[in-house]
Amino acid sequence: MMENKTKSTKQIKANEVAEFILDAGVFLMASGAHSGRVWRNCKRMAEHWGYRMNFNPTFTGIMVSVWDDKDSENAVTRYKTAPQNSVHLETLTQISHLSWKIADGETEYDDARLELEAIKKKAHYPFWLVALAVGISCGCLCTLAGGSPVDAALAFCGASVGSVARYFILGKQFNQFLSIIIASAITTLIAGTDTIFGLGRAPEMTLATSVLYLIPGVPLINSVIDLLEGYFSASIARSLFAASIVSCIAVGMILSIMLLGINNF
Amino acid sequence: MELLSAILIDFALAFCVAFCWGILFGTPWKALLMTGLLGGFGHGIRFILLQSDFGLIASTLIASVSIGLVGIYAAHKVHNPPVVITMPACITMIPGLYAYRSMLAGIKLSDQAILEKEPNIIPTIAHNAVLTFSLLFTLAVGISISALLFRNKSVKEIRFIKNRLKLKGK
Repeated sequence: MMENKTKSTKQIKANEVAEFILDAGVFLMASGAHSGRVWRNCKRMAEHWGYRMNFNPTFTGIMVSVWDDKDSENAVTRYKTAPQNSVHLETLTQISHLSWKIADGETEYDDARLELEAIKKKAHYPFWLVALAVGISCGCLCTLAGGSPVDAALAFCGASVGSVARYFILGKQFNQFLSIIIASAITTLIAGTDTIFGLGRAPEMTLATSVLYLIPGVPLINSVIDLLEGYFSASIARSLFAASIVSCIAVGMILSIMLLGINNF
Repeated sequence: MELLSAILIDFALAFCVAFCWGILFGTPWKALLMTGLLGGFGHGIRFILLQSDFGLIASTLIASVSIGLVGIYAAHKVHNPPVVITMPACITMIPGLYAYRSMLAGIKLSDQAILEKEPNIIPTIAHNAVLTFSLLFTLAVGISISALLFRNKSVKEIRFIKNRLKLKGK
């Protein structure tokens, strides 16, 4: 173990370690890891390669310093901007496994690089499956909140159609806040028919639960976790991001509710 | 008997919600089943506590903390970090209804005629907004409970430390 450590210290420069850590770190951050998790994963890798590190995570990027205690010339501080936030929890699992593999000395630097690239390219679930899942979960939430099967069916339709619409809007490279406004407007239009025509028993539940798939649950919860662990700048940035998404959902719903007539609600 | 079937229905619905939410968040395929079970378990606890008049916030707190604690063990079983399965499981208790009510009351606030008809609209907003935020906070506490209790340690180190030492000794 010790032999391995000294060998890799000679081979790998601080610059390379910093680059790897930044690559993995910003990707973790954008996929929905809280700052404490990014810190643990990065530290594990840096320590195996014989370096010490410290970093300043913000939601939009990471600043990292990597240095060698014995060689003061071999040190670097770099910054990298995070890619657009898109929650994908499988990334957390895979980068965590990769970091353990590195810490146990099972992977060399070059292989780890290749593996990281492979993790980055990993696709999300197909959009139709996500739309179906979103519909089912919103329908179930509606039933849990006390809706009848008709309410649940309308929540299912609204959520699925809205989710597909959001996928195509994002595919055209539009701003993600815009995509949320449009998706929530479409969902509310479909779910609002329940109130207008009085189809179900509890039309209020249909409206309240059908837009829940847009709720930024991961940034919201992560912001509180970061707050509790003391990463204040990351926490503020995350809560701001989550708050703006929530207000975008509200804007979309308001548009539709105005269109359908506020007095009907 | 009726209560038991109500609990079972609640469990089944929450299982579906957590499972599907796992797909939305991109939880690995192998961990999805565990996510669903955990979500159903947490929501079931919350349902039982609500039935025995525990109060909404207290029962949500207890449910999310038990998801967080059981999640640590469950995560070992499926070889994933705990957050990956506890996050979608806790989302089953997201306070969507209260957020919606406070938003709807907020829209109505802009209309003079409605305001005169329903003078209680500001207490409605405040009540629902406070409920929303406190419920969100309890969910976050439940998920971060592992990080809070086992400070600065990876969950993998807590239980597997012996096995890892054995492996390294080989």
